[in-house]
Amino acid sequence: MGRNDHDTIRAVLSGDKDAYGALVTRHSQTLLRVAYRITGNEADAEDVVQEAFLSGYRKLEGFESKSSFGTWIYRIAVNCALDKVNGRKKYDEVRVAGHYDPGEEEIQIADGAAGPDRLVLSGEIGALETQALRSLTATERTAFILRHMEGCTSAEIAGVLGMDANGAKQAVYRAVQKLRRRLAPLRVGI
Amino acid sequence: MKHLSDDELVDFYYGEPAGEQSGAGHRGELGDARRHIESCVDCRDTFAALKSDLDAVPAIDPPARGEDYGQAVWQSIAPRLTRYEPRRFQWPLLSVGMRIGMGLGFAAACALLVAGGFFAGSLWQSKHQQQVVARSTAPAPGSHTGASAQPRVVVVVLSDHLDRSERFLVELKHADLDNSGSGTPLRDEARSLLAANRLCRKKVASDEDPALTTALDHLDRLLAEAANAPGRLNGAALVRLQNEMNADGVLFEVRVLRSRNTDQDASGSDRPNGGTI
Repeated sequence: MGRNDHDTIRAVLSGDKDAYGALVTRHSQTLLRVAYRITGNEADAEDVVQEAFLSGYRKLEGFESKSSFGTWIYRIAVNCALDKVNGRKKYDEVRVAGHYDPGEEEIQIADGAAGPDRLVLSGEIGALETQALRSLTATERTAFILRHMEGCTSAEIAGVLGMDANGAKQAVYRAVQKLRRRLAPLRVGI
Repeated sequence: MKHLSDDELVDFYYGEPAGEQSGAGHRGELGDARRHIESCVDCRDTFAALKSDLDAVPAIDPPARGEDYGQAVWQSIAPRLTRYEPRRFQWPLLSVGMRIGMGLGFAAACALLVAGGFFAGSLWQSKHQQQVVARSTAPAPGSHTGASAQPRVVVVVLSDHLDRSERFLVELKHADLDNSGSGTPLRDEARSLLAANRLCRKKVASDEDPALTTALDHLDRLLAEAANAPGRLNGAALVRLQNEMNADGVLFEVRVLRSRNTDQDASGSDRPNGGTI
């Protein structure tokens, strides 16, 4: 069976470049998952995974043995994903329209006339919820995803996003409030 | 009863104690929040609504990938990676503490090396200076240079001066009082000896030798009278000088000093043949 991450890193730093392949294989799925959740886009997520491993390889000399390589590369991936999202300005500026206006650059969703039951049946509730998630700022969305979907604690979120624990909590609170406001009409209808 | 805030309900939902932060309104432990929600209808309804909303947020899962996804990622990035040069030490894998410790150890070793070098240099310089001093103070064979040579010069000069003074006093003692021409050479010799005597007095003044000082004083007075006597040294003047010489016992003093000085000078390894100041 293969070596652990630290042994593999020593081998890489000793000149065995191919040993890095074991690390990539071992952690790719995790990085793809979090990258996809943050970017919401499959192609971007794949780019993020590659960028994260490339960046991790170049920074490998700065990696300290007391930390976990999985956690370390995870943080790199989250930040790569954030950079990707922030690079797409329009992504954060998308708003959900309450009415149809062909002049607006907003995502058009079905109006209330369709009825909640129809929304449920057509699966558009999920789309609405996903869209509500996308209406958050990049930091709020990332903090919420890490908290709600990745199961990270506030301290872990703070570490990944480079902020203090209180700031991470506030980002989650704001995200929850915004999501609930977005989803309120849906809840009433149901 | 104070109700739980929305933030506290969010913390409770995610199972994270609100006590981790110091924000106002938080009630601390999850157990307190749970008991409050169970007993407070309003908070229970509010939490139920929150839970319903958050539970409804769909989990965003990426499209399923096969087992070979990681290998595919590796194949795509491998050509872009540069191989690390083999290194003797794996510094980056050391903890910060170990690196700091090794750095401090290296610094201490450097400091020790510098201190040792400084100490060794000081020792060498001290020894070298001692050798130089010893070499410079040691008299060269046949020479009279150095600190010890100076008193020896004084002894030699004084001895010569006492010899000449004794001869002068002997001549003065046996001067022909009827011959008026005998006073001129004595006066000339007295003038020459007077200058030398003053130099010797000046030199021995700091030697704390009362006998020598007294004798040179008496000799000085006598020489001064002989050198500066008005007119020619006639018989009367010579008699007066002889009487002074006898009264002070100058000749005796000079002979004693000369004898002592000869003994002192004889202790030297080699003696030059006199000299003049």
